[in-house]
Amino acid sequence: MKWIRPLSAQIDEPAEVVGGKAHGLLVLHRLGLPVPPAFVITTEACRAFLRDGRFPDGLSDELALARRDIAGAAVSVRSGAGVSMPGMMNTMLNVDRDLEQAVASVFSSWHTPRARTYRELHDIPHDLGTAVIVQAMVLGDRDEHSGTGVAFSRDPNTGAPAPFGEVLFGHQGDAVVSGAALTEPLQHLADREPLVWNGLLDALHRIEAHYRDACYVEFTYESGELWLLQVRPGRFAGAAAVRLATDLADEGVIDRHTALLRVSPQHLRHVHTPRMAAEHVLARGLGACPGVTTGRVATTTDSAVRLAAAGPVVLVRPETSPHDMRGLAAATGIVTARGGPASHAAVVARAMGKPAVVGIADLVVDKGSLHIGGHTVAEGTVITIDGTSGEVALGSQPTVTTTAHTHLTRLLTWADDVSGNHTDRDEAERLTAAHAALRT
Amino acid sequence: MTVLHTLRCIGFAGCPRIAGAVGMPESDVESELIDLAVAGLVTHLPGEFGGWGLTDAGRVADAERSTGELESAGARPALTAAFDGFLVLNPELLDLCTAWQLRSADGVMIANDHRDRSYDARVLARFAEFHERAVVVCHELSAALPRFDRYRIRLAEALKRADAGELGYVADDIGSYHSVWAELHEDLLATLGIPR
Repeated sequence: MKWIRPLSAQIDEPAEVVGGKAHGLLVLHRLGLPVPPAFVITTEACRAFLRDGRFPDGLSDELALARRDIAGAAVSVRSGAGVSMPGMMNTMLNVDRDLEQAVASVFSSWHTPRARTYRELHDIPHDLGTAVIVQAMVLGDRDEHSGTGVAFSRDPNTGAPAPFGEVLFGHQGDAVVSGAALTEPLQHLADREPLVWNGLLDALHRIEAHYRDACYVEFTYESGELWLLQVRPGRFAGAAAVRLATDLADEGVIDRHTALLRVSPQHLRHVHTPRMAAEHVLARGLGACPGVTTGRVATTTDSAVRLAAAGPVVLVRPETSPHDMRGLAAATGIVTARGGPASHAAVVARAMGKPAVVGIADLVVDKGSLHIGGHTVAEGTVITIDGTSGEVALGSQPTVTTTAHTHLTRLLTWADDVSGNHTDRDEAERLTAAHAALRT
Repeated sequence: MTVLHTLRCIGFAGCPRIAGAVGMPESDVESELIDLAVAGLVTHLPGEFGGWGLTDAGRVADAERSTGELESAGARPALTAAFDGFLVLNPELLDLCTAWQLRSADGVMIANDHRDRSYDARVLARFAEFHERAVVVCHELSAALPRFDRYRIRLAEALKRADAGELGYVADDIGSYHSVWAELHEDLLATLGIPR
């Protein structure tokens, strides 16, 4: 086929042709891991479509042919460019007819003004186009032995070498967004579905060995059978990046020089950002502005202003609007149920330099109380939030200025060995000198 | 724009900020606020986070007035259509504000310290291009209800000041592009009676 590649272990194409997402799925195939049947329409087909305003000759026939090889009435149709552009283009689930239209719509989403602006901001050329993955649907809501989740091979907040993530039992992923179901810590899978859990651990292990790096996967299991839907290297930051690189060197997965190059001096600028050290986390969202703060819960702007007279306050809202500006000004921290790192609350929190956690999907804010992580928390209750990890905990929690002190000390000793400079200097400077020595 | 409706869109605020939003001299705004307070429609809260804001009665009165204005002008269909255009632009504007505050360095998102002039210039150039499309939507809004033209003027002013080096007018300050945009969003929801 000219425009389409099946996703199988025999296919070896670069990310520029099949897109980053399909390239990851090809890696999974080569590692012998379970991926739902799928094929990918190349970026070249997308470029031809964008140039001529129609499918290139032969694509329709190839599409119909390839579709026949995928069992099931419905497929997912996902965008996947050669460079990551998260959330900028279309993805469609449960496409059961008019596959051509779905593919055309994903192609066209390359040129939305928002996607163009994203590329301008991130130095991505406009002429690359996106690949499109057509994949059999696997159902996390099929029966009681089905579910869906995300998993990191190591904790992305600290770098600690234990799997980390969330699982949703008996539901598809969109049930979280709609509030119909609650996610649970990934470890609960070990008790509920030991076979799936073992399969997942084995997969994470093999993927780590392949990338020589921490990894992230999205998975679904249907009637007890595990399927991997997406994979990428972990992209850890700050203290987690330091710990990961040092641990990988200790495990013999990478050498010390590679470990040094894995950590950017930029990571070190954030390695001492205060972090919450809570034993029990009430809920997790997305960190939108780094820092830790402890304060009493206020569920309205008025109560935030009132409670702030007596001490620090964390404003907890479904989302924020201009009416919350007073409350945001009075609070020392912000939590919202909706929105991502580019929401009104996130932009305002960063403008004010206040720790913020956004997008806690299972948070419901009532007047005078909130429901979060299966608990009801009354207004005035003391909570602590971490705007780096997106964690929320009850009570006043201790903070640490780095979760990777011993790892950092060792990594910097290696850096000084490489640069030959053992004088007392700034941490980022020591690493920069090692990078310079390694790159000459 | 009326003072009453402005307060419905911007929340509690001091007199200078209300005057800036509504586009009237402060003295006129102050005298109107006093009249509205006498009528029980607005109140003044003291303290660091205080200011003028609507009472419950004021909220009801403005909802009646703005709905009346919308329906008597037969503007609901046109305003609803223009709001759809606004919603397409909204995530992009938030992306731009985020790019102004954070940038990617070696794969890590770090705060933009605004020392790299070329990066800031690139983001501001995208704001300028975005603004051209925002103006099209603003024209549709003001064709439906003329008072919406105030937002076009305020957005243009914020961008002009940011381009002139007042960097807080992008996303940080009261009166920034981001806050004017958020107030416009609030106005559209309030006027069309759409709950958050």
